[in-house]
Amino acid sequence: MKDERSTTQNTIDQPSRRWDVKGRILGIPISLVVIWAALFVTASAIPALPVPGMGGVITINAIMTAISGVVLGPAAAVANMAGGIISMLLFPFGAFLGPLSFLTVTVGGLVSGLLLANRWKLAGVVELLVVATWFVNPDSWQTLMWIVPLPYTAVTLLVIFFPPLRHWARKQILSLDRVRIWPAMFLYVTVAHSAEFLTTNAMVNWMYDLSWQYWVPTWLYWVSVDTVIIVISTIIGVGVLTGLHRARLPHATEIYR
Amino acid sequence: MANKELIVVQDVCYTYPNGVEALRGVNLVINKGDFCAIVGQNGSGKTTLAKHFNGLLKPTQGNVWVEGYNTTQCRVSEMSRLVGYVFQNPDDMLFCSTVEEEIAFGLRMLRFTKEEINHRVENVLELLKLQGLRTQHPFALSLGDRQRVAVACVLSLAPEIFVFDEPTTGQDHLGALSIMSVIQELHTKGCTIVIITHDMRLVAEYASRVIVMNRGQSIIDAPPAVAFKNYNFLEELSLRPPQVTQLATLLGHDEHAILNTKDFCNWLSSRIKPNVQNQTSEA
Amino acid sequence: MATSAFIPANTFLHRLDARSKLIALLTILAIAMILDHPVYILGLLGIVLFSWLAARLPLNFLGNIFKYFSGIALLIFCIQLFFYPGEIYLLHLSRPIPLIGFSGYISLEGVLYGLALILRLIVILTIAPLLVMTTPLSELMLALVKFKIPYRFAFILTTAMSLLPSIQNRAELIQQAQLCRGVADFEQGNLILRLRASASLLIPLILGAFRDSQTLEVAISSRAFGAPVQRTYLLETHLRPVDYSLIMASGLLLLFSLWIRWG
Repeated sequence: MKDERSTTQNTIDQPSRRWDVKGRILGIPISLVVIWAALFVTASAIPALPVPGMGGVITINAIMTAISGVVLGPAAAVANMAGGIISMLLFPFGAFLGPLSFLTVTVGGLVSGLLLANRWKLAGVVELLVVATWFVNPDSWQTLMWIVPLPYTAVTLLVIFFPPLRHWARKQILSLDRVRIWPAMFLYVTVAHSAEFLTTNAMVNWMYDLSWQYWVPTWLYWVSVDTVIIVISTIIGVGVLTGLHRARLPHATEIYR
Repeated sequence: MANKELIVVQDVCYTYPNGVEALRGVNLVINKGDFCAIVGQNGSGKTTLAKHFNGLLKPTQGNVWVEGYNTTQCRVSEMSRLVGYVFQNPDDMLFCSTVEEEIAFGLRMLRFTKEEINHRVENVLELLKLQGLRTQHPFALSLGDRQRVAVACVLSLAPEIFVFDEPTTGQDHLGALSIMSVIQELHTKGCTIVIITHDMRLVAEYASRVIVMNRGQSIIDAPPAVAFKNYNFLEELSLRPPQVTQLATLLGHDEHAILNTKDFCNWLSSRIKPNVQNQTSEA
Repeated sequence: MATSAFIPANTFLHRLDARSKLIALLTILAIAMILDHPVYILGLLGIVLFSWLAARLPLNFLGNIFKYFSGIALLIFCIQLFFYPGEIYLLHLSRPIPLIGFSGYISLEGVLYGLALILRLIVILTIAPLLVMTTPLSELMLALVKFKIPYRFAFILTTAMSLLPSIQNRAELIQQAQLCRGVADFEQGNLILRLRASASLLIPLILGAFRDSQTLEVAISSRAFGAPVQRTYLLETHLRPVDYSLIMASGLLLLFSLWIRWG
């Protein structure tokens, strides 16, 4: 707040054009970030899938997280975080990770959003940080535990660190190619979802020490759940992105095109 | 047309989960071939009543029968083949990437065969004059066209009864005219129409029957010509019959309400007959 | 503004400043993660439950939380019970089964650690409701602002909350509209169908909301958002001696638990 005031002294006589710049968050109009946060909270109240052996549910905010980066760019992290915090304030009863649940959705939006903004190095750092958090926990050194993050984290790392794939996927998303947007969207959604999923896993392991005796037998279930979420998110992501484009509504791909 | 009872509403009360009593004992019957307009102030229970016609809301007391089925025992997606409900805002419905897919989506969800789907989509496209737009993205269309697509989606399920929730709100004159002509055409094809509206001119022009809702009760259920007669009473409910009706009433017309300018001219000319005859004879 | 879980009352906990409560919440959260012996976490849980009672919060909420998460609690406990590599054997069950990593014994350490994890789960689950139910939303927001979280972020939080009812309404309308065109019920059918139905909800919902963004943008700028002035607040709060002592106590407790664990 201090630096805002100090800049005021110089610009106070100038016309207030720069407010427009201030009304944006990481390039996205603040109104969109606000709306996304509200949408996110709404989606958090709609259950979609049961979690085995836990009595919890996965809500469709998993889908919102997966597509957030493509719609909002890095601002998705802010929007998801706001949505997650509001969900916690309004319905504080359902969160398995307690007051920290918002972290997972923040990371999901952040990694894919940064990738869309072509800040791949930063995206890579965040993703590696998540992977490291997971691997530092002794639980992850147990029998076969490496298969848990493997399927989609491998794809994510490939998209981030393999330049041809990264360029190709980004190009297809930005150009909204009718056919090729599908595989590209699949990759972006995978990046976001796997980052979210791995963050959740890492947090669960650190907080509750779930060992391989839980993860390995339920591995197939989780992989199928992730696949279903990723596929559905791909469909919805393409629908939302082409819809936004056709209806000429503001969104992130306009900025980075 | 046979007086077949399609929708029977019996002593229906409805209270929203938040405690608002929206309907307090509504009784009415909608017959085959009716063109029924539901009017009333905001919050009078119009939309709540209409949502009972296809089971979107289940009565907290009383019963609603649609073609003999009790709505409490049916799922809405099943009822959608009997009663088509078109929402005010077409954007609440559309999400596919082409108009064609959009229309086919509901049919696919209800597991129709491929040939049947194609057949119906073609029919609907033709009926609503959407052939030229079939590969367009619904969001790239104008509001009027989007509304036609939304109607098409409901129409493809071939229901006998249509409920339109404020179809002309937010439309310019031309758009309103085009959507009303579609509704009119459905009616002449034998469909039963229920329309929720604030537009009294529209009621006067199209409806064969008007239901006035006030505080969760239907207080008038009559043809517009009868319903609009007592316009002082309607004024109290902040409903204003068309100006021509008001004018006629003010000029002392008191049998049944006059609904359009043509009738008004006829009546007026009959009242000042001598002069008119003089004029015509002079001419 | 959307209805929060706040339950008005005039208890000690309700009167505390939101900032000191927030600090206490974070401290308890941290301590719950630091400590790993059931007795200590039980003490922590005791504090939480005592506060719950002192704030006269409904007990059936606690019951619901326990019921809802009993499955995962049991799972967490059993994993430690059977697979913790402890040394003090309590019970001999069978020969070792190396395939699933089972030693054949149930150990004291396993039981204790399993209990600790369950207690940790309960603390983590009950701490957020405790804060939210004793603090009005507006005060919580103000506390966040006073903690110098960026004002823009606080703005996003409050504005999103005030948008929430209209968006929730819209979501309901869209679900109804989709039912009317034959999309099978969102609550029924198999998983894949149900998720496919969510496309018909989310796409119109997101696009519809983005359509309204222009209106919101105008509303935001007409309220002079981002105007470079020192903000004042409708609600002013001051930390009282009680609040300072709560913050102090939290700090001491945190140091103490760090010392227990690693000291």
